[in-house]
This record gives sequence, C-alpha cells and structure tokens, in this order.
Amino acid sequence: MVELRDIHKHFDAVVALHGAGLTVAPGEIRALLGSNGSGKSTLIKILAGLVEPTGGQVLFDGAPVHIRNGRDARSLGIATTFQELSLIPMMSVRDNILLGNEPLARLGLVDRKSADRRIEELLDRFHIKCDPDTYVQALTPSVQTMVEVAKAVAQNPRLLLLDEVTAPLHYDEVELLFGSMRELAAEGVAMIYVTHRISEVFTICDTVTVVRNGETVAQGAVGDFSTDTIIYHMTGQRPEAAASHAGSETGGREGEPMLDVRNLELLPKAKDLSLKAYKGEIVGIGGLEGQGQSEFMRALLGATPFQGGEIVYDGQPRRFRSPAAAVREGIGFISGDRNREAIFALRTVEENLLAGKVAKGRLFAYMSARSIRAFARDAVGKYAIKIGSLRHAANSLSGGNQQKLVVARWIAMSPKLLLLDDPTKGVDIHSRREIHQILRRCAQEGMTVVMSLSETEELLDNADRIYVFYEGHVNAVLSGAQKTPEALAAAMLGMSGPGAADAPSPSGPHSDSLSGRSISRSIPGAPSPSGPHSDGFPVASSPGFPGAADASAAMSPATGGGGGKGATP
Amino acid sequence: MNTKTKPTPSYLLASARQALGRFHTSPAFAGSMLFLAALVLNAALQGPASFFTVKNINTLFTKNTPFMLAAIAQSLLLMTGTMDISCGVQMALVNVVVIMTGQEWGIPFPLSCLLGIGAAILASLLCWVCCSVLRLPALLASYALTFVIKGVNVMIMSVPQGKVEKLYYKAYDSQIFGFIPASILGLALVLLIWAYVRRTRLGTHMYAVGGNQRDAFAAGISPMGVQLKAFLLKGFIIGAAGVCLTLMTAAGNPLQAEDYGIRSLSACIIGGLSFGGWGTVGCAISGAGFLVLIQNSVYYFFSMLVKMIPGFSVTSYYQNFASDLLILLGLLMTMVTARGQREALRRDIVRQLKTGIGLRDQAGTPPPDGAAAGAALAPPPGNGTGPENTDAPAFDTLSAPAVSTSAARTGLSDGAGVGAAHTKEGMDDER
Repeated sequence: MVELRDIHKHFDAVVALHGAGLTVAPGEIRALLGSNGSGKSTLIKILAGLVEPTGGQVLFDGAPVHIRNGRDARSLGIATTFQELSLIPMMSVRDNILLGNEPLARLGLVDRKSADRRIEELLDRFHIKCDPDTYVQALTPSVQTMVEVAKAVAQNPRLLLLDEVTAPLHYDEVELLFGSMRELAAEGVAMIYVTHRISEVFTICDTVTVVRNGETVAQGAVGDFSTDTIIYHMTGQRPEAAASHAGSETGGREGEPMLDVRNLELLPKAKDLSLKAYKGEIVGIGGLEGQGQSEFMRALLGATPFQGGEIVYDGQPRRFRSPAAAVREGIGFISGDRNREAIFALRTVEENLLAGKVAKGRLFAYMSARSIRAFARDAVGKYAIKIGSLRHAANSLSGGNQQKLVVARWIAMSPKLLLLDDPTKGVDIHSRREIHQILRRCAQEGMTVVMSLSETEELLDNADRIYVFYEGHVNAVLSGAQKTPEALAAAMLGMSGPGAADAPSPSGPHSDSLSGRSISRSIPGAPSPSGPHSDGFPVASSPGFPGAADASAAMSPATGGGGGKGATP
Repeated sequence: MNTKTKPTPSYLLASARQALGRFHTSPAFAGSMLFLAALVLNAALQGPASFFTVKNINTLFTKNTPFMLAAIAQSLLLMTGTMDISCGVQMALVNVVVIMTGQEWGIPFPLSCLLGIGAAILASLLCWVCCSVLRLPALLASYALTFVIKGVNVMIMSVPQGKVEKLYYKAYDSQIFGFIPASILGLALVLLIWAYVRRTRLGTHMYAVGGNQRDAFAAGISPMGVQLKAFLLKGFIIGAAGVCLTLMTAAGNPLQAEDYGIRSLSACIIGGLSFGGWGTVGCAISGAGFLVLIQNSVYYFFSMLVKMIPGFSVTSYYQNFASDLLILLGLLMTMVTARGQREALRRDIVRQLKTGIGLRDQAGTPPPDGAAAGAALAPPPGNGTGPENTDAPAFDTLSAPAVSTSAARTGLSDGAGVGAAHTKEGMDDER
C-alpha cells in the first residue's frame, strides 16, 4: 500500500536519511527499528507531512505522491501518533481528539452531539477515564498518550504511524493498545510501529524494518529475526552476555565520592537515578535519547527542581537553588546546545572565554585590558582553539572551536565537578578528540567529570565508567572489561535483565505504590533485592544476581542479554 | 461523571462544587474576580445610589464600548498566538475615513461606516502579512505599523475636524426601552458573531494554532490561514470599535486612541489571557471592565478627597498614578493566580501519578492504594496474566524486564505534555 523508496534527507550538512526504504501492506504491522539518530523518526515525519524528503519516492497505492503538509497526509488516510505528542495542552480532550476532523452540522457549526458520541466511543475503546472537557495539560503522561492514540484512530486512517507510543504507558495500557492494534489490523489498517522495546516487536508486529545511519539495513518477516539479529542490525554489534553487566560501583577507587546521587526522582522523566563519581575520574552517562540524561544534569546543577532523592556533593547533601549557586560551589556545566546555553554568539572570543570567570568574580572588580588579553591568549593557545582574532565574534568560529571555547571557559574556573551534556553534538571528529584530551588532562589533575554522550563509541573510548540510563533509571554500570560495545548496546535497549527488572522495585515509595501493576516477579528465579542498599543502587549491590542469570540461561537462548550466547542466530 | 442522577441536595452541592472548582482553574477566574472587586470598589466610592442609575450605566457603556471592542479584537489575536498593538491607531483610521468620506464626498454616514470598517480590515491584513507571512515578531511589527497607520491618518485628515450628524450620535447615546444603552448593541453584535465563530471549526482551530503551530499543522490545519481569518475578524471588530469611537466623539481626530492598542493588550493579560491559546473573550471583557472601573473609582476617590478636605487639590497625574498602580497590582494578582493554577495542576498530576488514578482499572489489577509500602516485595495475586504466559517461551525473560519496568515506571513519559506546560511556564515567567 505504501512504499518509501530510496529516501534521502539532509538538514543542511547533517544527513538524516541516506537511501532508506520501507513498505507496508494493508493489515500489516511493521516494526521500524533503529538506534539514536538512525533516521526512523525522520521517516515517520516524512509520511506525516512534517518533513519533505530531499530525494527518493513515496508511493501510495502504487502512485507517487508528495506529502507536503499534515492535510495531505490526512487526505491520504495517514494518521500519526507522535513521540512528543501532538496534543495541545491548553485545549480540552474533546477538541484535541477531533482537531481538524470535527463533525459539521448546519451553518458550519461543529456538531456537538455527534462529536460527543464519537468521543464517548473512543474514550471507551481505549479505556480512558476522563471528562472530555478536561484540559489535556491536566492529564498524566500515560493518559495523554492514550488520548494521542485515540486522536489518530479517530481519523479512521488507512495507515497508522505509531512513534514510540508505549514508552509512557502502563503495562495494562500497552495490552489495551495492542488489542486495538490487532483489531485495526484485522480491519485492514496498515501500521508502522516505532519502539525501542524490542520485546514488543515479537508481541505485536508482523514484519520488521531496521534502519541504521539513515539506511535500511534489514527487513523481513518477524519470524526471521531474533532479538540478537535485531540488535546486530541496529548497532552493527552482536549483543553480549547479560551477566557481565554488574559494573563495579566504585571503579576501584577509595574514599568519599565527589558526587553521590541517590535515588534521584525527577518527574516525569526520571524515576530513580543513582550515580557516584569520584575525584579524578570521567563518568559517562549513556542511553537512548531522552532517557532522563539532560534532566539529570540539570537537576545536579539546580536548573530544575527534583522531587525525590538526594544529591551529596563533596560530602554534603546539597540542593542548589540555581545554577549560579552550583557554580559558586565549584560545579561547571557544558551543554551540547551551544547556541542556547553556552555561546554568546555575537560577543568576541575574548569575552566568551572570560564569561565564566567574570560571573564568579565580584561584580565591580577591576580587570585590566592587558590581563584579560593575556588570559584569553593563554587559553586559546592551551586548548588549540583556531580563531581569527580574539576580537572576532564567537559565531565566526566553527562548531568544534566554539565548543572548545566553552570548555576552555569552564576549565579556566577550575571547577571541582564538571558536568557535560552531550558536549560533542555537532562537533567535528578532530575537535572531539581534542576536547576529550582536555577533559582527560583535567581529570588527571583531580577534576571529576560527569558527561552524557549520545555517541556510543565516544562514550566507550573516553569514560572510565558508564552509567546506562533506561526509562528513567540506571540500567547498568559498565566499567573495565565490561565496557564493550556489545554490552553497552544491550544495556541501552534495556536488556540487562536483572537491572531492568529489579532496579525500580527497591527504590522509593513511588514505585512501591505502583507495584500493583508491576509484574517483575514473573521472572521465576529473579531475586528481589531486599530493600534499598546503603548506596541505593541495586545493580551493583546484588552481586552477580545469579537468579536472573540462571533464569535467562534456563529459559531462553534469545533472551535480553543473550545469556552468553551472543552468536546464537 | 456524565451519568444523570436525581437532583438530590447532595448531588447539587457536589456539582456546584465541581463547577466552582472548574471555574477556579479556568483562565477567566482571576480576571472576573478583579472585575467584581473593581465593581464593588467603584460602586462604594461613587455611592451605590448614584452608580446604579440608568444614566451612569449608560455613560459607562457609551464611553467604553470602543475600548471593550478593542480588547475583544485583541483577545482573538492572542488566542491565535499573535497580537496587534496598532489596534488603537486603526480605530483612529476608521474615524478619519468615516468623517472625511462623509465630509469630502458627501457619502451618507452608514456607507462611510462600511468604508471605515473596510479600512480597518485592510490595515489588519497588512499586519497579518507582517506577522504571519513574513513572520516578523508581532509586537515589533505592529508597533512599527502604528507609525505607518498614523501617517496615513494624517494624510487623510491633517487636523482634527468634521462632525457627525446629530441624529446618529444622539442615537448612540440613547437608551432602548429607556434603560438599555444603545451602545451595547455594537458589543452584542460582536459577541454574537464570536459566539457563532467559536462554535465553528475555526473557533477550535484558532486555539489550536495559538497553542502550538506545529501540532496544528500536523493536524492538517494551516496556521497562516487560521491567523488570516483571525486578523480579518479582528479588523471587522476594530472597524466596529472605530465607528463607536466616531459616534462617541462625534468628530474626527487622526491622532487619537493610540493608547487603545497597548491598553487592550493589558486588559487581555489582566483578564487572564496569555499568549497562545489560553483564555476566552470573557477574559478580555472582564479585564477591560476592570481597567475602566478602576480609573473610574480613582476619579471618584479623588473627588471625594476634594470634598472632604477643604483646599485639597492635585493634578490629574496623581489620579493616573494611583489608577496605574492599582492596575499593576491587578496584573500581579493575575500572575499569582496563574502560578497558583499551574502549581495546582502540577500537584494534581503528581497525585494522579502516585495513586494511579485516571486510568480505567483493568480486570485483575486493582488500583494500588498509594500507601501500600510493602507491596513492592509482595506482588498481589492475579499478576501473572501478562503476555509472557501467552507468548512463545523464547521471549519470556526478555519481555518480562521491559514490561515490568514499564509497569513500575508509573507511566511517566518523556512528558511532552508536561514539558509543554513547562515551556509555557517559562514563557509566562519571561513575561
């Protein structure tokens, strides 16, 4: 019914899609899989009319079509549920579901009665218990997601695109959704289903398409795939045994951690994040996009408030009220979003370098032009920043050099703890390497570096220990020999078995109250850690978690971690 | 919730409480409270006996209908996520067009009024081109347009002049049946039109575009088209306001009413509208009413002082100072209320998350009562009905962790919705 052929898309210099293809037939549920930045969301957006491809063909019922906007997509019968939701928070549930699709009565008026009937029907179908007049912003994320699905289904689509809908959903809601998807498939609706929960693919999908780096690398019936082959196609790596995922929590270091985060709860994204960072080490944070990494960073810095847990910094529990307070205490923060959070694009290189130092100094402290110049020249030389002149505007520099400028600015303040949120985003490979060298040098001099990176290779190369975030909690800690691409890939997809199964249970009152829904106990052999440990971090403190390893070995060759059978297929 | 129950007293009480709760969280709450407060203040200072007279109410409406119309017009743009602070000079444009076409070409007054409305619509179109098509920042673009339109006004009419036939301005000042101010008709007409538009698709789409242009676009709505319609509607209302202004002053002045633009904006904000899809026309009306009544009250307060203290006299600047101070307080209160509402909303969502309500309970999984602390380690029975029992065993252990995390995760998402609310908050705070 729908075929995407050899689709290319680039945003300026960034190539998002490079020969991706996809087909889906009526009544078929096709999984579209891929890791961070592989281009699966772009594919969805092309079909939804939000992005126009720069090359390739979209065929609908065999005829080439151009989907230029949402209306074109709708008239073709394509409905989409977006990962970031397309609901308008200040509008009622009713208005949102019927948006652009309102039933009309005489005189162009919206037919309230038939609208109400349809809403009632849809809310019933998806078991959404809410008043149609409630504003969407008053609903919990999971209910919002169900409303988003109801909105798409309300259009009676021929092709339904579901982009990571299950991420915020409860287990019973996922079941409900799958039930509806099966019904729709029976009615002949084609579906493209994007998810990062590989298990769901086998539950609901008929066929699989895997994209990697903007290319379609594999497709076929779901029976031809196993978890391992899917991971292999997504990452280019064979997933590794789960049993080795228990990283050492201390990284072999002694003494008090510089930063000790315990069960940090940051609604709505992060539920239970614990992390320790010691003096002189580089701690990496990995995971798929949007698993709570940037929220975590910003909570440490005091830029966003957190709801639960504790941050112990330099031996004392702290809760910074603002980034300025955190900076005063010796915390530095480098954001990957240079333009928004770091660079003063129109100010000179010199001023940009000096910005941090000035912020920390006294308001009316006198600074001589010569000392400023000397400081700036020193920094430029030391970090090999390529500039025209110290007086040029910062936006005259390349992305990589801008980022080095920011790094230099912060290091000049010699913070005790440096936080970096994806610092090498959009930075060329050479500058990346240099930035990492700078960071390594700083760590050797005793600075603690906590950095989240979206590139797995970079993470493996540069971090001493890697905390892998998955759905708002720490899924695995990798260090030393366990720091392999395979283990990281598996952990990022939530497949470190015990970590995923048990991490939430002993945490706060939060998950306790919801344990009615939890089915983690369905793993027969998995032990329940007996409550919070001293450091509150279950993966590390249940040594070896033999139960789970046994379970996986006994029950499944194709299990999450693979049970050491990486090459099964 | 929707089922009909017998109207027992307790049911009535409950539904009244529910309605009150809904009003409390509605955008119109702060504005209407302020309006009521100003009304009470004004009536008290002026003396209820003299405030609630036909004559006084009539004067209030004749003097302020143009301003209230301008606030309504502005509110439509705010809903659609844009604005136009050149509303005021556009009203003056209508005024000069109406007067000059009558004076120079001898066109009868009703026809000149139509021409004036047409001029306002044209000016609105110009503003639409700047704000929606060229995507200039609405505040700056419409501020620049203020001077452009003022220039046009002066070109049409260089000095204040002209008059309106007595028949018309007398009619404007009269009362229907001896107690309904005729000027209310203009207001009623506009509100009727809006009541119709609100019930068409356009009404919803305006809110959608104001709420989030990208999402509206994804839903097959053309944001530019919706804004065009909003601007046209606003042009018409400004035209009506200009006609009322002409009837009120019964003369032409090319440089009057400029402050109506910014004042209509502040009326909307005080009434509880915010940039983009939040608030109703009612907010604009109560905000405008508040501004008017506060100024009135301060006037009466000062005349009371003059009466009570012999020899007391101050310039009118002090009156403006006092009334603007009160308006600032009103604005502050609106902000505080809005923040309270957001806070309440956040708390409610957290509560929903913690108790797991807001979902229909599936058979076999009773809703956990929030305080079951030990429950994490003692799973309730009936939990084994998951997919892992029906699936091929090969995926058992695989599906289990993923599903369990999803269940234990309490359904928190990457929170686009809440995120959007936060962004909104950020915007509000910036303001």
